[in-house]
Amino acid sequence: MSDDRVTTFDTPTGWRAVGRYGLLVVVSVIVLFPVYTTVIAALKPGNKVLVNPLVPDAFTLDVFRDAWNEGSLGRYMLNSIVVAVIVTVAQVVTSVMSAYAFAILEFPGRDVLFLAFLATLLVPVEATLVVNRQTIDSLGWLNSYQGLTVPFLATAFGTFLIRQVFLTLPRDLRDAAAIDGVGHLGFLRHVAVPLVRPTIGAMASLAFLSTWNQYLWPNLITTENDMNTLQSGLRVLSQSSGVDRPNLVMAGVIIAFLPIVVVLLVFQRQLVRGLTSGGVKG
Amino acid sequence: MSARRRVAVALGACALLAACRSGDSLLQAGNDAPPASSTAPPPTAAPGETLAPTTTAPRATTTTTPLASLPPCPVDALDDVTQPVQITFWHAMSATNETALAQLTDEYNASQSKVRVRLENQGGYKQTLDKYVQSSQANRPHVVMLPEYTVQQMADSDSVIPIGACLEASGYDTSPLLERALRTYQTEGVQWSMPFNVSVPVLFFNASAFEEAGLDPADPPVSLEELRAAAQAIVDGPGNRVGIAFDSGVDSGGGWFIEQWFARAGVPYADNDNGRSAPATRVLYDGELGVELLSEVQSLILDGLAVTVGDNPGGQDALLKLADPQQPAVMTIATSAAIGTVKSVLDGGLIPGITSEQLGIGPMPGPGDVASAIVGGASLYIVADKGDAQAAAAWDFIQFLISAQSQSTWAAATGYIPISEDALELDPIRTTYATDPRFKVAYDQLLAGPSEATRLGPVIGPMLEVRTVTAGAVAAIFNGADVATALRDAAAQANALIAAYNARN
Repeated sequence: MSDDRVTTFDTPTGWRAVGRYGLLVVVSVIVLFPVYTTVIAALKPGNKVLVNPLVPDAFTLDVFRDAWNEGSLGRYMLNSIVVAVIVTVAQVVTSVMSAYAFAILEFPGRDVLFLAFLATLLVPVEATLVVNRQTIDSLGWLNSYQGLTVPFLATAFGTFLIRQVFLTLPRDLRDAAAIDGVGHLGFLRHVAVPLVRPTIGAMASLAFLSTWNQYLWPNLITTENDMNTLQSGLRVLSQSSGVDRPNLVMAGVIIAFLPIVVVLLVFQRQLVRGLTSGGVKG
Repeated sequence: MSARRRVAVALGACALLAACRSGDSLLQAGNDAPPASSTAPPPTAAPGETLAPTTTAPRATTTTTPLASLPPCPVDALDDVTQPVQITFWHAMSATNETALAQLTDEYNASQSKVRVRLENQGGYKQTLDKYVQSSQANRPHVVMLPEYTVQQMADSDSVIPIGACLEASGYDTSPLLERALRTYQTEGVQWSMPFNVSVPVLFFNASAFEEAGLDPADPPVSLEELRAAAQAIVDGPGNRVGIAFDSGVDSGGGWFIEQWFARAGVPYADNDNGRSAPATRVLYDGELGVELLSEVQSLILDGLAVTVGDNPGGQDALLKLADPQQPAVMTIATSAAIGTVKSVLDGGLIPGITSEQLGIGPMPGPGDVASAIVGGASLYIVADKGDAQAAAAWDFIQFLISAQSQSTWAAATGYIPISEDALELDPIRTTYATDPRFKVAYDQLLAGPSEATRLGPVIGPMLEVRTVTAGAVAAIFNGADVATALRDAAAQANALIAAYNARN
């Protein structure tokens, strides 16, 4: 049914097509412009960066090597990967388990508890920043992987997202499994999780991306350069070398975003499918 | 994505001088009992000549808050160590200045076997202050670099060993050190920290454009009348040029420069002798002088002789305006700490059409005919409760950094002012000052100021917050707001901030 509408959207004709593609081109140019200037600046030798800044009239790759070496980007990338992987895995595990409890199990106070969970989404990160930092400080976790990861091991958003798809699973499935003597963990592992895998994939890639792109938190709790993540490390690079060598910083920026481009390309389909599966299934 | 893009755009746009401005901020903290000083406008030093200190009063570490009630400085604790003592130093230097600091630190580490200093760049003064304030004592470094506007806050924090205790315990001879720099970091007679990187605002200008407008680069404007005349000549001259770029940044045109002007005019910026005889309770910048000064700057802008570059983040926008291809400014005011970096940027060919030879440096224009300035930049604090050997190591490192040779090297690389007069006899700064007088402008300007309280600048507990409020008013004034009203409103807000701070401390 809805297919008809989708089809007409996809095949505009004549002037409508021109208008639509024209709009898409304009928006794409706006979105891609900063990426373009970054790439151009990174590929130019230092003394050419501010001369015709939008024209790629000179080319060098040396600056990538310099950025990698001088900026300790290898060390920062290792930190970023460790942190992003730990947070992603932990968020998937905690979200799936808690979502299962809220969606399938029945226990007193469940809905109230779930509301309390959701309420934490309403508290802006900034409101808890200082307190969280003091907690990490008093635990002695400044400049450590614990400090970078522990505050993010569980998220109400992930719980909510996965609870919603668990709710769409037919009740009969669980009943049938129970009759066959399958416990909750077995059902979760063999039935529920495989059925909602696209949503879990989407959640995992979102968790990875948002952790990778964290800037404020790593900046707050690292005082030793070696524990910077890539994003906070770029600040160091921009301040130490970037002042008279803007191209070096641009190269660092590109190095920092390559990994997430890869993640995005690999998970793009899951991301889209998983996030929309709740609304347009059928 | 958005964070990354923001980084990219910010970097792409400027990339220039993030570092430099971080190099300077404002003023200081108070000491009371200003020395009986020579009040006549001090002479400006001729090139190559070192000015004698302008006062004969007793120096730094004196009386009112007894040092005995503060943590002692265990200066001898290094004598018995067998293993190298590791200490951490949080700093806020960037670009050329960071390189120079790293070289000095390497030299220190190589010169002896008892102390190993590890530098940790905290990304600017404000970030350093934030991290310091938020951290528990255990997670604080052994040595921290903080700008002059934090003195009152640090004194109230009960977290440092006053440098005065170390000076006293080791019998350090402070006579070669610039008295005004030391006094900047005193409150109630206690020397809290050791000035290290001292800067003042100076006039940066394009000397070629000066000549094309019929002006003499060897004689840049000093008074505000001369500034207006020079700007008029530039606007009337060839090219689509504007006289001067102002900014309303917290650590530059919106705050620090205003404090400079008040001190230069000898008018207090805050009550209780600029907060030096007792804690300040209110600011005085909404008085006659403030209205007069900012009305003059506003009229320069409204007359098309000047432009504003806004809040000047990182300090680079005002300087970049000199390289604007559409409508370049020929002059701007920025910290002397940027000179080294600006030179290196220009030498690197980054800015089309301007070479480092064309860069002119003059004293900061302002009220009156004598260019004087108050101390900006930052100083070094020794953090308490970190162990005796560590405190002694910190003090040893600080002595190295302020030695005549280190200060000579440091000043020549960066544009900061050597705080040791003996440094002027030593290379490289001796040669630099002789061959490139641009570097010496800041030094002469600093020494031209007497050491009375009104000439040392204000000491206010919540200085940064007060400056933020002030900068907001300055921005509004640059955009045409009524000067008296804007200053009065800002002063009221600032006074409320001060009252709240004083109630807490």
